[in-house]
Amino acid sequence: MLETLGNLGLGFSVALSPPILLYAFVGCLVGTMVGVLPGVGPLAGISLLLPATFGLDATRAIVMLAGIYYGAMYGGSTTSILMRIPGEAASVMTCIDGYAMARRGRGGAALAIAAVGSYVAGTLSVVGLMFLAPPLAAFALRFGPPEYLALLLLGLLVLAYMSSGSMLKSLAMAAFGLLLGMVGIDQMSGYFRFAYGVVELGDGLGVVPVAVGLFGVAEILATAGQPAPPEVIKPRLRELLPSRREWRESSAPIARGTLLGFLIGILPGSAHVISSFVSYAVEKRLSRRPQEFGHGAVAGVAGPESANNAATSGAMVPMLALGVPSGPIPAVMLAAMMVHGVSPGPLLIQQQPALFWGFIASMYVGNVVLLILNLPLVGLFVNILRVPYPYLYPAILVFSILGVYAVNGSVVDVWIMVAMGILGWLLRKLEFETAPIVLGLVLAPMIELSLRQSLAMSDGHYGIFVQRPIAAALLAVGLTLVLMNLYAFVRRGLDWRSRIAMAERGEDSS
Amino acid sequence: MTRRRLRAVAAAAIALFWPLSAVGQEPYPSRPITLVAPFPPGGVADLTARPVAAALERVLKNPVGVVNKTGAAGAVGMQFVATSKPDGYTLLLALSSISIIPEADKIFGRPPAFTVDQFAPIALVSADPTILVVRAESPWKTAKEFIEDAGKRPGQISYSSSGIYGTLHMAMELLSHAAGVRLRHIPTPGAGPALTAILGGHVDALASGPAVILPHVKSGKLRALAGWGDRRVAALPDVPTFKELGYPDAEFYIWAGVFAPKGTPEPVLARLREAMRGAVADAEFKAAMDKLQTPIAFKQGADFQAFFDADARRLADGVRKVGRVEDKK
Repeated sequence: MLETLGNLGLGFSVALSPPILLYAFVGCLVGTMVGVLPGVGPLAGISLLLPATFGLDATRAIVMLAGIYYGAMYGGSTTSILMRIPGEAASVMTCIDGYAMARRGRGGAALAIAAVGSYVAGTLSVVGLMFLAPPLAAFALRFGPPEYLALLLLGLLVLAYMSSGSMLKSLAMAAFGLLLGMVGIDQMSGYFRFAYGVVELGDGLGVVPVAVGLFGVAEILATAGQPAPPEVIKPRLRELLPSRREWRESSAPIARGTLLGFLIGILPGSAHVISSFVSYAVEKRLSRRPQEFGHGAVAGVAGPESANNAATSGAMVPMLALGVPSGPIPAVMLAAMMVHGVSPGPLLIQQQPALFWGFIASMYVGNVVLLILNLPLVGLFVNILRVPYPYLYPAILVFSILGVYAVNGSVVDVWIMVAMGILGWLLRKLEFETAPIVLGLVLAPMIELSLRQSLAMSDGHYGIFVQRPIAAALLAVGLTLVLMNLYAFVRRGLDWRSRIAMAERGEDSS
Repeated sequence: MTRRRLRAVAAAAIALFWPLSAVGQEPYPSRPITLVAPFPPGGVADLTARPVAAALERVLKNPVGVVNKTGAAGAVGMQFVATSKPDGYTLLLALSSISIIPEADKIFGRPPAFTVDQFAPIALVSADPTILVVRAESPWKTAKEFIEDAGKRPGQISYSSSGIYGTLHMAMELLSHAAGVRLRHIPTPGAGPALTAILGGHVDALASGPAVILPHVKSGKLRALAGWGDRRVAALPDVPTFKELGYPDAEFYIWAGVFAPKGTPEPVLARLREAMRGAVADAEFKAAMDKLQTPIAFKQGADFQAFFDADARRLADGVRKVGRVEDKK
């Protein structure tokens, strides 16, 4: 403990030195911009800037790249809340309630809560990273394909909590999303599935073009299709800050989101996207007023936004403690270390104490910088809503196309976005919700790969899922959840979802 | 320089070079060159491409930029270069997989994204043999024990790879065939996840590049048993090669080389080869490759062509032996 504090002192002496401070600030600033731009996520941002860091020393480079990573999580919520366009994949859930809040004139409050939630989550999870990195990293490695599959199946149950309307419709959308996730090279056999000779489809449909199309482009088409343009929201200054009630309602979701995000973030794979989905579902299930979700529940913003920020620190745990990439972004950061001759691995903390502790301390500093940067920006960003729609919407479309193109430099991605925009507009007309499609698309390739890897490990025996304690425990939790819901359903004939549906139709079920 | 004089100089310059460029005789290079890395930033291809581009830029005194064209295990970027204009302004930094992808396309009977003969080889930059590692607590102390045990328990010892027909998969397949054993293959989406799988104890063995495994061998988590090279790796002097152990067919390298599209004029190719020779001698380039713990293995002309052909033959053979996974069932 004392030793850790002493080391942290060393870290702060590194992190607060002017050059490091400058690079942390630049990283956070770039990250915020990358997050705000629709489509461009932290991976694209870090990839674009990686070459620029080659001339720096290792500590500066890594501090700046990490700043981009968690800065993007702050910025990602902005366009989700104001325009229903996910700034990056982990902000998809924020689109739902954040945008609904903005429609009710609470956009400023949503942005402020997202920023504060991100700050709390970012800071607390660095504490976790500092004290728990080595033991947690060892635990994370025990998460093999069978455990991952069990976790993903739990994630699939989340689907049931995603919709407030018809269960049948939302399951249909989820199934459609899972099918979309089948496009691309089969990892186990090398087959090109549903690619129709388009080599670019080999990696499947990207989450970003699909999400920007289904949410953002569809929203623009729907608004443009209205006979009279919706009234321009004119936010007043005193409405920018969250009310006392909104603070109260978001404190517990922020705490839960932080814990969930950190734990899920540690696991290998692209877990930070899932963390926001799971957090949303948990908040909706625990809420006393689940009917508010989808219509501007503040917990639906606070939880997922905290979770995706905590997950970024969680993802650093295996990277720093073991030198193992837990996802594509830590992999790029590991490469950045190698370029500077720092060999990442279990010995990093002992061999490079200044780098490790300086990095940790810079994350504390960076989160403060981001809070200071983001809170005043709330007032600025909210004013975007004052722009009349005939000017605003074409501009958003241009930025969406640029952002989606920039990720892979691929025109195919732009066409996917356009097709999904039209599809999303049609589905809205038919009163289908589109969020389950995105969740299905995220989960399908992961579920398929972990299932087939597990079976390859066990030579085809399904027993592997119950013989391994972590996997068995997770599956038991999932089974219990299903049984509990079934029981309630059989006993009362109604579950909470039908009550919501009734409440929405104006009937009172109580 | 006044504005009028500037204009005069510009006009003179245009007058001087206009007829030349009009008939396509402009001196090479006279505009920026693009070096395509078909994998995302941070991977081996990208990390090699950046110092190569920087060194080429210094030698040619002409901008050379790296563009990551990623997707479909490298096929997107390789196809892009294969079909781009053969004028020496679009180059490719390819890895061993350039010889694997067309073969895999062939066994699935689909139109190939590109073929190997669509490229003109310029230079080989590095060629790292893969190293066989097992976890430190595993029972096998030597490659001999590992192979003997694999012979006794066919299909029971598992290994992770960077994906089916990927480089790490092919290395293990070449060994299995050379030693006449059967191992269980667990594909993962990349070299990083493949490493995670062995460190977490989900598989028994892994073949990967020296730079990837060295930190974990040094920290005592993994044990290196043998290498696929024709000589030992400098950083692991005690680790024998499979060649020494009597398996000469188990030879495999994760190599990186620069290619131009076929049909690039011979003078341009000659200029690029000469530039590459200068680039690998560049001190900054050497320092960059040193940090990546990747020794430079420079070959060009007939040497590179011979290496490339032999490697492509080995890999094509390997892919055909693996065949289609579902046909085995």
